[in-house]
Amino acid sequence: MDNTVLEVKNISHSFVLDSGQKIKVLTDIDLSLYKGEILAILGPSGSGKSTLLRIISGLLAQSSGQVLNGDVELHGPNPLVSLVFQSFALLPWFTVYENVELGLESLKLSPAETKERVKRAIDIVGLEGFEEAYPKELSGGMKQRVGIARALAMQRPILCMDEPFSALDVLTAETLRREVLNIWLSGQLGAKTVVLVTHNIIEAASLGKRILVMGTNPGHIRVMVKNDLPYPRDEKTNGFKALVENLHDVITELLIPDTPEWVPPALLSSSVETLPNVPINEVVGLVEVIARQGGRADSFLMANHLRKDFSQVLFLAKAAEILDLVDTPKNFIVLTDLGRKFLAGDVNRRKKIINEVLKRLKICQMLEEELRKVEDYSLGYDDVIKLLHEWQPNENSNTSFETLIQWARYGELFGYNADTQTVYLDLGQDNT
Amino acid sequence: MYRANDVDVRLSSVRNLWIDLLLLAIFLVFLYFFVSLTRHWISPIQTNVAIDLSLSSLPKYSFYSLIRALIAYVCSLIFTLIFGYFAAKNKTAEKIILPLLDIGQSIPVVGFLPGLVLGLISVFPKNNLGLELACIIMIFTGQVWNMTFSYYASLKAVPTQFHELSKVLNIGWFKKLTTVELPYSFTNLVWNSLMSMAGGWFFLTICESFSLSDKNFVLPGLGSYMKLAIDKQDTVAMWAGVLAMMAVIISIDFLFWRPILAWSQKFRLEDAQDQTKDIPFIMLLLQDSNIVNWMVTKFNEFSTWRATPKPASQITLQPLVFEVGRKQARSVISRMGRLKKHIPDVISERLPHMLIIGLLLFGMIYVYELVRPLTLTQWKQIALGTMATTLRVVASIVLASLWAIPVGIWIGSSPKLTKFFQPIVQVAASFPAPMLYPLVMLVLIELHIGFGFGSMFLMLLGVQWYVLFNVLAGASTISLELRDTVNLMGLSRISKWKKLYLPSVFPATVTGWVTSAGGAWNASIVAEYFQYGGKTLSTLGLGAMISKATDTGDFAMLTGCLLVMCTTVIGLNRSVWHQLYYIAENRFKYDR
Repeated sequence: MDNTVLEVKNISHSFVLDSGQKIKVLTDIDLSLYKGEILAILGPSGSGKSTLLRIISGLLAQSSGQVLNGDVELHGPNPLVSLVFQSFALLPWFTVYENVELGLESLKLSPAETKERVKRAIDIVGLEGFEEAYPKELSGGMKQRVGIARALAMQRPILCMDEPFSALDVLTAETLRREVLNIWLSGQLGAKTVVLVTHNIIEAASLGKRILVMGTNPGHIRVMVKNDLPYPRDEKTNGFKALVENLHDVITELLIPDTPEWVPPALLSSSVETLPNVPINEVVGLVEVIARQGGRADSFLMANHLRKDFSQVLFLAKAAEILDLVDTPKNFIVLTDLGRKFLAGDVNRRKKIINEVLKRLKICQMLEEELRKVEDYSLGYDDVIKLLHEWQPNENSNTSFETLIQWARYGELFGYNADTQTVYLDLGQDNT
Repeated sequence: MYRANDVDVRLSSVRNLWIDLLLLAIFLVFLYFFVSLTRHWISPIQTNVAIDLSLSSLPKYSFYSLIRALIAYVCSLIFTLIFGYFAAKNKTAEKIILPLLDIGQSIPVVGFLPGLVLGLISVFPKNNLGLELACIIMIFTGQVWNMTFSYYASLKAVPTQFHELSKVLNIGWFKKLTTVELPYSFTNLVWNSLMSMAGGWFFLTICESFSLSDKNFVLPGLGSYMKLAIDKQDTVAMWAGVLAMMAVIISIDFLFWRPILAWSQKFRLEDAQDQTKDIPFIMLLLQDSNIVNWMVTKFNEFSTWRATPKPASQITLQPLVFEVGRKQARSVISRMGRLKKHIPDVISERLPHMLIIGLLLFGMIYVYELVRPLTLTQWKQIALGTMATTLRVVASIVLASLWAIPVGIWIGSSPKLTKFFQPIVQVAASFPAPMLYPLVMLVLIELHIGFGFGSMFLMLLGVQWYVLFNVLAGASTISLELRDTVNLMGLSRISKWKKLYLPSVFPATVTGWVTSAGGAWNASIVAEYFQYGGKTLSTLGLGAMISKATDTGDFAMLTGCLLVMCTTVIGLNRSVWHQLYYIAENRFKYDR
């Protein structure tokens, strides 16, 4: 296709942690960017979407695979790409004007031409009058306008944006999102390709011509959703609602599959649950809210209700499901009998229930078995990390450890002494 | 399974035993040298202690120096805890202590050594105690201001919610100090102690061997060992002295500061994720020790015993006592308040200032008496010397910056290099530069560089590490996003340095400059007037004039020079450095 500006071929990427553990964050990514489209990359945290963006920008060298412009393989910072950051990344010692001008320096333009381009970019984002201001004098929304102006002034064919609106408050984000769309629609800076990384479904649906949904563990392409609704999109139309619904289903299915993928029995016995890295108190909070809503709630509405990111709510729901407190048919969250019993109990009763549920989890059973092998029922931090790595080679063992201990402390199953760095079996519950 | 564990247990208990023995041995060695040092203190005064240049006596001298440094540090710590607390809690004390700290931080204390030595010897004319005290006080004055100031600043920075919490819980000031304020300021205090103790070695090496109008005052220690080695031009001994000093610095760092720093991590307010990663080896050893474990358990028992609620009969008694005391105090305060009303508010508010001004006036009259004999030509000479030394200080900082800023940025931008180099630079910055002067002199003489320039290089020797250390730390915190931004823009290498790296490290660099300027002024007193192999090298400069006046016992000149040096340094601090700090804070800080 001659409309292609950039091609990503078979990219995989791994990080090596300080502990020497290798973690795969991206696998087998194939993707083409076309002229004049907005591509939204949507995914929960941990799906490697920001990593993918940094590889496209050439700021991070991929472990394997290629980034191609036509037949030319690209290495190092990508000259086709300009980038807008979530945290703005403005140089505090330069004024608004100087920050925007910085991007033009390598082009070796005449002073008059430079001035013209900087003025125009500042004009487009509505920052006239602020040229001499320093970043620290500006609000978050204004700072991000500078970031966008800087990227626009560079006039590169691909504009990459890494969660550009998520550090802003809701109203500012809404305004800026609309303005970015208008700038792109007006074609003021040529046929731009925009790549937008986001975890916000509405944002992806209202901006993306194509929406790439990514999955976790390791980050991979789940599905590419085409979105031919005309711009500007009205959130109230049926077409838009259907699209959003569809995206919800994809992400819900991704995080809480209804039918577990088929696993050979031999592997099943050795496979260990991955505990979502969420605070157990928030899980309890979610269960309480669902009970208040009659024991059944739509996960998306719930996210809106709680003013939380959709994928965050799904992680909480997944945690509650592992603990047997809820069921998750489709994108609904439904309280279980145990969940009701749990809510009816006082703190000690609740802990007792969690204790019993945890004891049924493979990961807890295995750790308990290891602890019982030792004379004083305790193991050092390093030993437990080693075990976790053995059981879940694809997970970050430090995170798994943190979550496991946090849950187990609540359920009084295991304890952890941070001073001596030992995990021990909590025998208190057995005696009661 | 259980068999294997039995072996493990036995192995680890054998290991524990060894660690206990090691700790015991270290303790005994310290005790031995401490006792032998105190014996030296009370022995009759000698102006010429025979220093033994044989290698076998080096450990003894190292321990003597180490014990001096530790005593000085403990004194500084006690001073810090008391005066820092007062300054933070009491408005009047704050008004008096803060300016004193500022002046104390700025003045070159080495210049005051002769007066101190003479004074203390007249107090203890019969034995060596006066000399020892002079040395310890010198180190103390070199480090205490900075520590007190930092402790004061951390106490002031305790978040309001903690103050409110202690009010709600109704805990007394001491309980609040130990449970809230000390833990909060602990990390800062430890870092500052580490740097201050490192700075102390410089003063130690100067004070241990010091001459005043034909009299040599020598204390057995590494500094005097080195001095003799230089005088005798014994190269083997010189190198041995350097290595011994290095060994002392490194072992203090590893055996003392690193474990304390690691331990202090648990007092940090931010959620630190990576606490568990870098546990120093020595900490792991200590955890295995029976003695240490026993002490920790006992300590915990002790503190829980104190925390357990007392029987009711005792509870009722204590507040009563307090109540009575409080009533008395209240009546005294109200009486004072009534008295106060008669004094105009202006005076009572200005009282601390007036006290300081009064003290200054008194001091000035005293100083004037001392400097009266100085002629106009002598004053002109002092002015000339001041200019020469100021130039040297500035030049040495510029020269140091020329290499230390680029190298610091280069190392600091790579986490791998930082991890490797940071401890090395820290040790280099702690090393007392005067010990290396003779070795550098050899090179300078070989290159036919005059002493006017040469002394600047000697000053550079100590100065450069402060700049490097600070720039490195600053560069390691440059944000990844900013680096990504300029990389993507395709800026040239020069442009990247000009627009990103240099401005980013500017605040850290200013800190480095201020520290090294202070060091350079102190160093000028040693570096501009240098005794080497029986000869005395000297050049035009305020430092040289101070040293010469000390050597010849010319107290009018000494006082005049010190007066000018203090005024110059304080003046420069007030104008140049404060200005730069302000710019760094306001223009060059990157907040996310």
